[in-house]
Amino acid sequence: MGQYLPLITLLVLTGVFGAVSVVVSRVLNPPRPTEAKSSAYESGITDITEPPERFPVRFYLIAMIFIVFDIEIIFFYPFTMVYSELGWYGVIAIVIFSAAVFESFLYLISNGALDWGPARISRRSVIASDPDRTSTTTVRRVGADGRAFALDGEES
Amino acid sequence: MFGLPTQDEPIPFDELPLDDPLLFDEPAGVVIPDIEWSAIAPNLILMLGGILLLTVVSLVRGRTPSWFSAVWTISTAVFAGVTLVPLWQRVQDDGAESVMAGAIGLDGFSLFVTGVMCLSVVLGALLLEGYLRREGLAGPEWYVLLLLSASGGVTMASANDLIVMFIGLEILSVAVYVMAAMHSKRVSSQEAGLKYFVLGAFSSAFLLYGIAMVYGATGTTNLVGIQQFLSETVLTQNGLLLAGFAFMLVGFGFKVGAVPFHNWTPDVYQGAPSPVVAYMASGVKVAGFAGMIRVFVVTFGPTYGADWRPMVYALAMLSLVVGSFGAIVQTDVKRMLAYSSISHGGFILVAVAANSEAGTAAALFYLLVYTFMIAGSFGIVTIMGRTGDGLHALSDYRGLSKARPGLALLFTVFLLAQAGVPFTGGFLAKFYVINSSVSQGQYVLALIAMSAAVVAAFLYLRIVVAMYFDGNTYRGESATLAGPKVRIPAAAGVALGIAVVGTLWLGILPGQMTSVAGDAVAQLVAIGP
Amino acid sequence: MRVEMFTFLVTATIVLAGSLGVVLLRNPVHNALSLIGTLFGVAVLFIAQEAYFLAAIQVIVYAGAIVVLFLFVIMLLGVDKSESLRREPILGQRPAAIVAGVAILGLTLTALLSSAARVTGEQSVLAPLDPAVPDINRLGRVLFTEYIFAFEVTAVLLTIAVVGAVVLIRRAGDPIDLGEFPDGTMGDVLAARAAERNPTIDDAADEEAGLDETADDAAATDDAAATDDAAGGER
Repeated sequence: MGQYLPLITLLVLTGVFGAVSVVVSRVLNPPRPTEAKSSAYESGITDITEPPERFPVRFYLIAMIFIVFDIEIIFFYPFTMVYSELGWYGVIAIVIFSAAVFESFLYLISNGALDWGPARISRRSVIASDPDRTSTTTVRRVGADGRAFALDGEES
Repeated sequence: MFGLPTQDEPIPFDELPLDDPLLFDEPAGVVIPDIEWSAIAPNLILMLGGILLLTVVSLVRGRTPSWFSAVWTISTAVFAGVTLVPLWQRVQDDGAESVMAGAIGLDGFSLFVTGVMCLSVVLGALLLEGYLRREGLAGPEWYVLLLLSASGGVTMASANDLIVMFIGLEILSVAVYVMAAMHSKRVSSQEAGLKYFVLGAFSSAFLLYGIAMVYGATGTTNLVGIQQFLSETVLTQNGLLLAGFAFMLVGFGFKVGAVPFHNWTPDVYQGAPSPVVAYMASGVKVAGFAGMIRVFVVTFGPTYGADWRPMVYALAMLSLVVGSFGAIVQTDVKRMLAYSSISHGGFILVAVAANSEAGTAAALFYLLVYTFMIAGSFGIVTIMGRTGDGLHALSDYRGLSKARPGLALLFTVFLLAQAGVPFTGGFLAKFYVINSSVSQGQYVLALIAMSAAVVAAFLYLRIVVAMYFDGNTYRGESATLAGPKVRIPAAAGVALGIAVVGTLWLGILPGQMTSVAGDAVAQLVAIGP
Repeated sequence: MRVEMFTFLVTATIVLAGSLGVVLLRNPVHNALSLIGTLFGVAVLFIAQEAYFLAAIQVIVYAGAIVVLFLFVIMLLGVDKSESLRREPILGQRPAAIVAGVAILGLTLTALLSSAARVTGEQSVLAPLDPAVPDINRLGRVLFTEYIFAFEVTAVLLTIAVVGAVVLIRRAGDPIDLGEFPDGTMGDVLAARAAERNPTIDDAADEEAGLDETADDAAATDDAAATDDAAGGER
């Protein structure tokens, strides 16, 4: 266990550094949020739609696939350590295993789950091309008390 | 204090001779196990069938005819069933064996259960064929998951090792979780899938915890080893082992839908696609009971039967009572059948609680009959759900006898069989279970089982009454079925035919199958020399 | 105090604190981070038992991949505010859960403590501790001999996972069964959600609805659909 001492030291140092960073930033820069500060920056243009989701759902699929193949690769490690003892028997065993897992790879490709082609614009944004939009409805007036719609009577 | 097992003198990492080139060339005494493929042929065929189907449809995406996957699945299951025959002969002639390095038991019990699993795959695939077309759900994935799930069930039924059994259970369940949620047009299907998944994962954790405790108490996960150890050693401190029993029973109890671990059943059966429910109610339950019998009756039965029997006794009693009475108050036919399947589970638990060979044979016969009955019932439900799979209220069955008399008659047969009317398989199945229970002196349980059967009969008659007598004046109009027209796809018709023939055959000429079930003895045999 | 005991006590504290954090903290991101703490502590316990390979897997697969996937889902659902847990979904659920939890803990503790010093019946003989052979080799040997079947069928499980992930991520059109919820709970929720995701912006709403129908994939939300479509074709 002694050889883990540097690791533990590093761990402790990391923890201390993290804690100090948080505390110091709070002390030196106390948070005073206003509406203007906390809203998304859109070059002064009123954001009329909610911001898009941070991650498309497709990333989830990639993450799932990653885990599956991660687990598969992990089984290879013990095999490499004992393959000389096992001989052909081990090779056949691992080939059967990997063939069974890689066939799901085939399925993924055929399903287009890994297609990350150039961005495909499927439809125009209706809102952006709305003929009713004028500079008064779109451009945001930045005041001292945060931001609000520059429309008459439409405070939100 | 904490019992932390450590070596007295742990060798520091840098003193380990890791860089010694000779280390890896030393004869390490690895005994390469003897792999006999033919001994696991049925399981292998199901597995390969699923994986090859996935490969084929991936390679020729969209160019396979719509019937291709269904035909593939059915022929795979039939082929797997055919390979059972020589294996059965071999087991009957030469006795049971342990194969695949002691991980798989080749005995009559596992072969019988494999046969029932193949049957439920065939019935499920036949029902799926018309269903997918009707609902506009394309996809060979349903069939792939069906085959792979069945292979998991077979693995469970033949496992001679708790780890193998757990992996089999996970293969079985994960595929069914996905299938339950696969009707992408129905929110209730997705809800069912989510509920089933969350609760199922929870119960798997219980099972795994139990396995860990049993491993701790006995020093091995191999069922042969456990049985040997327990018969040779008297544990002075068996708290860990008993806690392991309790946790494992929770895991299996969930899979078979035993009360009080049944709460998912009505919701999932109601929301999941109907053909999947047909498979879920037959195949998954069969595999769950097979695993339970293998672990509890065969492994722990001879030595610790007195310890787990009261627990199973209680589960059986509760399942019978809650299943029968819960069914009465339902208005949705799928929920009714879900509760009735809980009550059937109670019956099989009665046979498990008998902890005898006769009990196991009775449970196997019940499971076979049950597969025919329940797959047939849910087959009718699949057809009656009509496009959208949503017409499952009792009122949707009004006037069925006038609109489709044949269908109404078939459903009546399945329901009466479930009620245990003579000359159907259900009667004899219940009879054998009660017989095995009485011969072990469980008179109270047998009485409760009989009363529960009477109460449950009320439910089945309610559906029959709705089909035959309520329809005459539905909404002032005479004798027509409400909702869109009922269409019976050819494949579903075949499935119903198989189911009704099976149900009646086992009721009228049961002799052959009861003797097969009697021969299907579960045995734990150590690996031969 | 021996070094093993010290390590055990420290890691056990981390593991317990982490698991309590998973259950008790309100913010889902904090829950996931606590889980990392727990898994990391378990990895240290593995090292204390000289199971180095398992410790590495614990960190790589569980802490590294699976919890990241959890965080991913949390981000995906946009659950960055703490959930309101004041109202119980089912009446009496929380007391029942506490009773069940304490009962399970009690059962386990009774089982362990009643066995006094000797908890296990027999020592495992599958992989006898041999300091001359690294743990990976011992693991490899039993994996490819005793557990060869379990090893091979794991491939089937992984295949099912891939198929399931692909199948369930496909989006279908609007659900067809909303009218089937008699009490309106699920239907109400979905209707409210649908109203929320289609904010009526003056006259644009009608036109937008028309375009929604023509879009090949049903739009989950306006912008999510645009983003997803931009990311590549689904079929």
